[in-house]
Amino acid sequence: MDEVKNIVDTTQFIVIKIGNEQFGIDIKFIDNIVRMQSITRVPKVPEYFKGVINLRGEVIPVMSLRLKMGLELDEYTKTTRIIIIKLEQHEGIGVIVDEVKEVVTLETEQIEKLSYDKDEKQTFVYGVGKVDNSLISLLDLNAVLAEPQA
Amino acid sequence: MDVSQYLEIFLDESKEHLQNLNTQILELEQDSENMDVINEIFRAAHSLKGMAGTMGYKRMQALTHDMENVFSEVRNGTIKVKANMIDILFQCLDALEEYVSSIQETTDEGTNDNEAIIKMLNDILNGTDTGEAPAAKKEAPVAAEAKEEGAEPWKKIKLGSTEVSVIKAAREKGNEVYGITVYVQESCLLKAARSFLVFKTLEESGEIIVSDPVVQDIEDEKFDLDFSIIYLSDEPFETIINKIKNVSEIDKVIASPVDLSEFDIEEEEVIENSKEEADEENEDMTDGKAPGTTVAAPSKQEKKQAVAKPIVNRTVRVDIEKLDVLMNLVSELIIAKNSLVSASAVEETANTTFNEQIEYLESVTTNLHESVMKVRMVPIESVLTKFPRMIRDLSKKLDKKMELYMTGEDTELDRTVVDEIGDPLMHLLRNSADHGLESAEVRRAKGKNETGTIFLNAYQDGNNVIIEVGDDGNGIDIEAVKNKAIERGTITAEQAENMTDKDIVDLLFLPSFSTAKEVSDVSGRGVGLDVVRSKIEALSGEVEVKTKLGAGSTWTIRLPLTLAIIQALMVMVGNEKYAISLGSIETIENITPQEIKQVQSKEVINLRGNVIPIIRLADVLDIEPTRGENDSMVVVIVKKGEKLAGIVVDELMGQQEIVIKSLGKYINKCKMISGATILGDGEVALILDANALF
Repeated sequence: MDEVKNIVDTTQFIVIKIGNEQFGIDIKFIDNIVRMQSITRVPKVPEYFKGVINLRGEVIPVMSLRLKMGLELDEYTKTTRIIIIKLEQHEGIGVIVDEVKEVVTLETEQIEKLSYDKDEKQTFVYGVGKVDNSLISLLDLNAVLAEPQA
Repeated sequence: MDVSQYLEIFLDESKEHLQNLNTQILELEQDSENMDVINEIFRAAHSLKGMAGTMGYKRMQALTHDMENVFSEVRNGTIKVKANMIDILFQCLDALEEYVSSIQETTDEGTNDNEAIIKMLNDILNGTDTGEAPAAKKEAPVAAEAKEEGAEPWKKIKLGSTEVSVIKAAREKGNEVYGITVYVQESCLLKAARSFLVFKTLEESGEIIVSDPVVQDIEDEKFDLDFSIIYLSDEPFETIINKIKNVSEIDKVIASPVDLSEFDIEEEEVIENSKEEADEENEDMTDGKAPGTTVAAPSKQEKKQAVAKPIVNRTVRVDIEKLDVLMNLVSELIIAKNSLVSASAVEETANTTFNEQIEYLESVTTNLHESVMKVRMVPIESVLTKFPRMIRDLSKKLDKKMELYMTGEDTELDRTVVDEIGDPLMHLLRNSADHGLESAEVRRAKGKNETGTIFLNAYQDGNNVIIEVGDDGNGIDIEAVKNKAIERGTITAEQAENMTDKDIVDLLFLPSFSTAKEVSDVSGRGVGLDVVRSKIEALSGEVEVKTKLGAGSTWTIRLPLTLAIIQALMVMVGNEKYAISLGSIETIENITPQEIKQVQSKEVINLRGNVIPIIRLADVLDIEPTRGENDSMVVVIVKKGEKLAGIVVDELMGQQEIVIKSLGKYINKCKMISGATILGDGEVALILDANALF
């Protein structure tokens, strides 16, 4: 009985780090995780688009999660990774993160949905997951990838 | 074996035949006595009927059958072609097109019997007193003639001991054993499907013991025009013959009971037997209603036609997806080749043979690419052929006199482009017919020819294909457009003051902008030119319009020949690499800063008498300049139509074949960048759209 419940009610997240905050990305939207590589700048696009990369013969756009969230510029280190995200019906897009930590499995009870407040950067997060003693902000990818309202 | 595997061929060929019918009937309208045209129509209608029959589309078959009957009479001279008949025939074609599209979508022909059209066709037929008799009479000698050819082919079938014992066993049970040879019509398109139907019919009431060629070969169409079978059944002889003849496009059937000893005895018996058979056939034929007759008559006609027909190139139908796969592979190959080239450039130790081999590989991949491109090219004709009919209909609907002149139907374009270009062209033609051309009275008053001219010219120009659509109508009324735009609030009156005529004409391409005072169902619902433009831009093309009030307008569509792989010039700007399509490059010049002049606070150079505006790539692309103010500059002169512009770059890196990749919609915001490509070292370089810089 318990097992059945587990299968139905859990979601797996990849935990990433940006600055000191931990974020979770639903694993079903993740296509790939690659190391930092050379990015070709594309002119005349919003600043948070860092450009395009060559992912095994495909040209994939890459955005900086930090800039999109209004944080300071990325500093590329050896832990920096590009997470390739594929939402259904969409083409792939890369997201630069400071570090990829682990995969966690959260049960529904461990996720607390957030009611939206006015703080703009908070709208990228739809909930908070509690694992042991740490908190993971769960990213709303549709909001992250959407165009900012002008 | 299943008929559905022929569905695609059926659809393709039906469409071709319908298109052909459209063209021919239009021609017939001009020249109602032209026997060649009439014969061609008859042939197309007949093939359509045959194919519909094979595939089991009864309604479609019935309609084409009646159409064919009408033309059979026209051909015999018993009916004259009249204007109302042409209209009915066009309705007929529309109905057939409906069937075909319904089959394409649902594999079912739908339930519309089109009785009204069939009745009209029959009315035409009944206007004459000769029924089908003449056609039937002709048939008889043909059949008899064939009979005299000699032995029945089925007797050549070699019977093994198993077959012999099966035959003997059947005899004992009171079943009869027949030898049958079926001749398929020479014009038959789906021979295998036909013979399949024959087999199926026979198997319903008996058993096929052996066939020649073997069943597998028949299924693979590995037979000429006839096949023979030994067949076991308890049905009477005539029933079987008639059953086979019920399958359409069967030329004739020779059959007789098998006498096992016959396989060993002399010719005499054989001939006697076949004469008997011939008599039987004759009886069948002369009563006029035998299913074989209507089918067999045209076969004679078609043999005659076949001689006159030009020799067609041998072709293979290939699924476009397979070509796409091939194209992608070629792209991959080119990327791999490029990385080899750059690797060899780095390796200083690389010996000459290695370099030679790389050069060889380079020429092979280039040729391969060209061939694959050519395979994908189809003449634009397939799109254009439907337009004369459309203009004819529009002419009636709008009650204007107009004539369509087309040239360059054989201009070739990538298949994907040809598939997409139909709608925009149709829209422009409708526009010309509806808005462009004036009514006959107005034209007369203006001293123009009452019949308006609409033209469509297609031709190749370097790496582009140009399609011009235009008319000799009234042209675009710039003032009317301007007023309309102001009235709608698209532009303000002050803005309008400063706009050139060209700017104003460009307003027409904005969404929901139509100058037609009344909305008609031909064009002018406000969803128009903007759709045309976006469609053409989606094909990496562009559209321009030239107009002269009172004299007409010309729309010029410029499309790239290829979509996937281009020759490009690689340039450096700052630390970034960009590709510029060679197709748009005119020349490359070295310029000193002193040669740059200011005109209306814009930088220009005077190049051999041409004043050319200068675009500093570093500025428009926000690149940190790495060069000093006074260094000489490399300027790439690009052209768009007749206009030139100079692009200032830092360094030339050479020519390269590049594979165009989309940037994807997330980041596709910059109009100057048309895509990206992957270089030999794996780096991504952006492709500059020179046209967007103007």
